[in-house]
Amino acid sequence: MNLYAYNPTWPRHEAIQAQARRWHKRGLLTPEQLGAIEAAFPLEFYRPHLFLRIGLFLFTTLGALFAAGFAGVLAQFHFLGTLLPVLLVGGVTLELVIAGKHLYHSGADNALLYLELLGLVVLIFDLTFAHLNEYGYADHLDPTPGTLRLALALLLTLAVLVLATLRYADRLVAAAAYLCALLLFANGVLMLPLGTLLLPFALSAASAGAHAWATRQLARPERLPYHRCLRVLRALTLGTAYLAVNYLVVREGNAELLSSGNWTGPAPQIPRAPLFYGLTAGIPVFYLVQGLRRPDRTWLWLGLLTAAFSVYTLRYYRSVLPPETAAVLAGVLLAGGAAWATRYLRHSRHGLTSTPDDAEDPQLNLESLIVAETAHAAPAPAETFQFGGGSSGGGGATGEY
Amino acid sequence: MLPEAVLTELLEHQLLPPAQAERIRQDEATRPFSLHRELRLLLYLGIVLLSGGLGVLIYQHINEIGHGVVVAAITLLMLGCFGYAARHRPPFTWAEAPRAGFLPDYALLLGCLLFITLETYLQVQYSFFGTRYGLVTLLPAGLFLGLAYWFDHRGVLAMGITALASWVGVTIQPLSAFATNNFWHSRLSTAAIGLGLGLMAAGIASERLGRKAHFAFTYLSLGSNLLLLAATATLLDFTPGPDSLPPALLVLLILGVCAALIWHARRTHSYLFLLMGVGYAYTAVTYVVVRFLVATADYGHDGGVFMLLFLYVPLSAVGVILFFVNIKKILGLR
Repeated sequence: MNLYAYNPTWPRHEAIQAQARRWHKRGLLTPEQLGAIEAAFPLEFYRPHLFLRIGLFLFTTLGALFAAGFAGVLAQFHFLGTLLPVLLVGGVTLELVIAGKHLYHSGADNALLYLELLGLVVLIFDLTFAHLNEYGYADHLDPTPGTLRLALALLLTLAVLVLATLRYADRLVAAAAYLCALLLFANGVLMLPLGTLLLPFALSAASAGAHAWATRQLARPERLPYHRCLRVLRALTLGTAYLAVNYLVVREGNAELLSSGNWTGPAPQIPRAPLFYGLTAGIPVFYLVQGLRRPDRTWLWLGLLTAAFSVYTLRYYRSVLPPETAAVLAGVLLAGGAAWATRYLRHSRHGLTSTPDDAEDPQLNLESLIVAETAHAAPAPAETFQFGGGSSGGGGATGEY
Repeated sequence: MLPEAVLTELLEHQLLPPAQAERIRQDEATRPFSLHRELRLLLYLGIVLLSGGLGVLIYQHINEIGHGVVVAAITLLMLGCFGYAARHRPPFTWAEAPRAGFLPDYALLLGCLLFITLETYLQVQYSFFGTRYGLVTLLPAGLFLGLAYWFDHRGVLAMGITALASWVGVTIQPLSAFATNNFWHSRLSTAAIGLGLGLMAAGIASERLGRKAHFAFTYLSLGSNLLLLAATATLLDFTPGPDSLPPALLVLLILGVCAALIWHARRTHSYLFLLMGVGYAYTAVTYVVVRFLVATADYGHDGGVFMLLFLYVPLSAVGVILFFVNIKKILGLR
């Protein structure tokens, strides 16, 4: 049996058609050439429009959960008696619809896969934490960091997730597998003496290593079926490399680990705090510079996100300015800077431009809805309305009454 | 797949003359990297932070000499934004206007947000409009709708529609809507249904008459969501008010609107409306089925009702999935 569940020509033809369409939009291919390419590399799988995928995902989840509930009623809610047959039927259904209906990340197969894996992970944790106790291993009921039993559960989970990623090449499962591997690694480090001191640096280094690995794999043509997963991993590894040494995460995580969760009040200061200040401030700048110099959108977006989280970290511990003054200043800087950059890059400079790139995939036209969602239109006229925190009150676009 | 690999593949299949491949290679190497989306996001974030921060700042300095300065500054900034947007305004057309850049759009948005800040401040501080709360909400609604058409801006249109919804809410139930949190009660929900119908009609009319046809999406999505949310909430309300519409009428209304949405989706290939239509219709039908099952339940063996429900949901979900998968055949799309 082939390890890859889908037909390997599907991702190949999809990538060729997508690239050809981008070139056509830039006027580098004639419509006839595009038509010929689409005929030579046909798409023989089923993946509908995004909103249909959302609908398929929701209704598959709903139906599968109620079907599992029905099985539960039949088995009189015996735990394993319900879970095992449901997992078996679900797995067979998933394989059959992919083989028979040529579903390819179409929403329905995603939903079945996620539910199947969720059931398997529940089964693994139930076996390692609840059922081992029945045979005289009763020491811990809850997962505790730095124990062999958690390592066992995570190892089994990781094996399931990695196999599922290799077979179905799903982006969310790949991300979950990576995070699980990172947890397993952290659990191993915590078993060492001085583990808590090493943990941030070990995790950050491991993330950086994973990033380099994913980037190298992306360059290899035979990894094409997994390119979607690898792109997600490239972004995720940059995120974890930053979070592992972020001051807020380290300080709160340190207090959480040392007190095993019953700490009250603010977390105490951590050793070598200046080093973490520096990393929290420096990494976003490094990411942004890399993103603009390469140029690479993954670095750029992670730079923006980590910069936002660094600002949050700063304001969590120190109130530098009153919030409204800070908001006005940040707003002026952001809007002014972006407007300046837009004008400056109107004609491309340094290989960068502010005009839309025809070779980019068109974005969903949801902008007007987002504006309605975040920009509060009407002022609230009630006398009782107090202007405290936030901006000008009000709810979303549709439930405005 | 790297562009180079695709080129090799196309050349092998003789779908591309080598000279053209060379041109594509050159374009790939020299094409500048577009920061369009990132800059728009930062610009939008900055505008929201700025108008929100100013909105609070103005009240912090209410008792100081400086607050007149803040009011003057906001007014100047607002006028500046409107002026900049007006200077770069594309000439009016009933079709979608071509744009030179996106900066004037965002200036207009900031101007509108600052207008709300200013208007709210004048009302709270000086009771500028007295107790005519309807006017307070109707003024931005009228202004924004006018600006949306004049400047051809869908974001401002959405803000105008939201202000219009507030105006209806304030007119139907002055103050109590804000005092008690019963947003979806009887007359209010009926008014929301009416407004939703009106917005949907406006959307269909704008498309049919070719008057800003690209506004139809905003009108229809906001209007139908308002209507369907209000109707569904009233339907699922255990203690309906005396003025609520009867459930049978609500179910018919929801199903009718959903059918209209699916019909519109079929014409315009808009899968969002298709998803909304199917989702709301499914909720309404499930409501009818559950009401029917509960009404006919034999309370001696009421486990049977649950069994039927557990069977109904998976079977109906499979039905919806089959509908989605075969949508092109069923609706006769391309």
